[in-house]
Amino acid sequence: MTSLLSARDLVKEFPVAGTQGLFTPAKRFTAVNRVSFDLQAGETLALVGESGSGKSTTARLAARLIDVTSGTVHLDGTDITALHGDALREVRRQIQVVFQDPFSSLNPRHTVERIVTAPLRYQKREIPGGTRAVAQQLLERVGLDPAHVGRYPSQFSGGQAQRIGIARALAVRPRVLVCDEAVSALDVSVQAQIINLLRDLQREEGFGCLFIAHDLAVVRQIATSVAVMTDGTIVETGDRDSVFGEPRHEYTKRLLAAVPRINPEWEAARRRNAAARSSEEAPA
Amino acid sequence: MSLLTVRGLTVAFRAINHDVPVVAGLDFDLPRSGALGIVGESGSGKSMTSLAIMGLLPAGATRTGSIVFDGTELTALPERRMRAIRGDRIAMIFQDPLSSLNPYYTVGTQIAEAYRAHRSGVSRKTARKVAIEAMERVHIRDAARRVDDYPHQFSGGMRQRVMIAMALSTEPELIIADEPTTALDVTVQAQILELLAEVRRDTGAALILITHDLAVVSEVADHLLVMRRGEVVESGTAAQVFSDPRHAYTRALLDAVPRIDDTIGELRST
Repeated sequence: MTSLLSARDLVKEFPVAGTQGLFTPAKRFTAVNRVSFDLQAGETLALVGESGSGKSTTARLAARLIDVTSGTVHLDGTDITALHGDALREVRRQIQVVFQDPFSSLNPRHTVERIVTAPLRYQKREIPGGTRAVAQQLLERVGLDPAHVGRYPSQFSGGQAQRIGIARALAVRPRVLVCDEAVSALDVSVQAQIINLLRDLQREEGFGCLFIAHDLAVVRQIATSVAVMTDGTIVETGDRDSVFGEPRHEYTKRLLAAVPRINPEWEAARRRNAAARSSEEAPA
Repeated sequence: MSLLTVRGLTVAFRAINHDVPVVAGLDFDLPRSGALGIVGESGSGKSMTSLAIMGLLPAGATRTGSIVFDGTELTALPERRMRAIRGDRIAMIFQDPLSSLNPYYTVGTQIAEAYRAHRSGVSRKTARKVAIEAMERVHIRDAARRVDDYPHQFSGGMRQRVMIAMALSTEPELIIADEPTTALDVTVQAQILELLAEVRRDTGAALILITHDLAVVSEVADHLLVMRRGEVVESGTAAQVFSDPRHAYTRALLDAVPRIDDTIGELRST
């Protein structure tokens, strides 16, 4: 079976600033070292790791935002590693990215209508019914008021701005959605809304999702499979419940053990109390 | 008697023709050696509360109400006397250690100077020794050598240890930590939380932990204030608030927390 997105032996090296001599090349730092993974349509693969693990660089390689040092990325069986021009433009339509900071990825001087339909213009698409109608539909899809198409990013909250970022990504019906710490900057209640929204949209649209995150509890709620990264390599990969339930690699175990937890006795008591309360409130 | 008693604390920003309160009528008590967690989402007023206690509110903010620290009314204190308490008997740890450290001075110099600012007549040599001891206490390996390193030569977690070392050097009775682990990786966060617990065991310092992270606060605090839009919506022991939350907002907040050991289907959101 051909995977929707397939990465093989990805390597990314960066020159180290200040190490270049007059006659000697700069030293090189390997940010991503022989990383391979497969993503299927309708699935969410989470790349988790701490800072400097190479997870974001891997996502950028997969989305062709930066070029590989070596290795290949296939989208639907086509090698996209060396594409350029119109072919690359088409790849970029099919792979859309949602970033961490919603405001810095939205132009503050553009209306929401202009923002969410920008990928369509970039793709030089005909827009049936005009951009306003398309923008309104997109806002509705992500749970925003379609009447707000004329507003500017500063008139929205952080969670709403992230919804705008998601609407823009969906505008060109991507096959792959890359979420790079897309819920990390949000308050916990807003975070829950955005996770639910991503799950609903994925069910409806069937895109594959590459979900980059450092927060393991968030990953547990959204991923179908998980790849754990440290020092530029994947140390463990598997379906969600096996990685969380029976981690094999020492690093994964250490990572999971470090996550702060609410006292399980308090959690159990809270569930009992909530159940008792709802049965009281229910009409007899 | 409580170490810290706060009554009717209100912080407001002056707008054109009216005041906008960001903290509205806060009351709480913190016993000696107690650990109070103040939790809330962005805009809840939790950080403004800590700045108000320290007397570090930004320009344009006004503070009313009463803050009594060990029998002294802080709101009536002239700045000169507040400076003697701040950083000495009440220490503060912020989220971003890099922006709290001066890049041009070695960490040893900075810990030593902070110490000397509160201990007049202490020689540089003694202060340097205090700095090394404080760095050893927060488990910075090879402290005698690293005392001469600059902030950029430390990792994020090590910088936060330097900040804690600085806070500890004067043996404060109260430590106010505002999101001390939010910028750190999860394994480093666990180490810093463990360190804070150890420090409290050893010194008996009271702690106010300000955070948005309910799991973190559940591991550290014995009492909780849940804040929303400048008001306390719920308070109690950590066990009470976590096992039987009374207020609908607290319940919604707890429902929205993703759990590492559990998949909870649809995450409920407020």
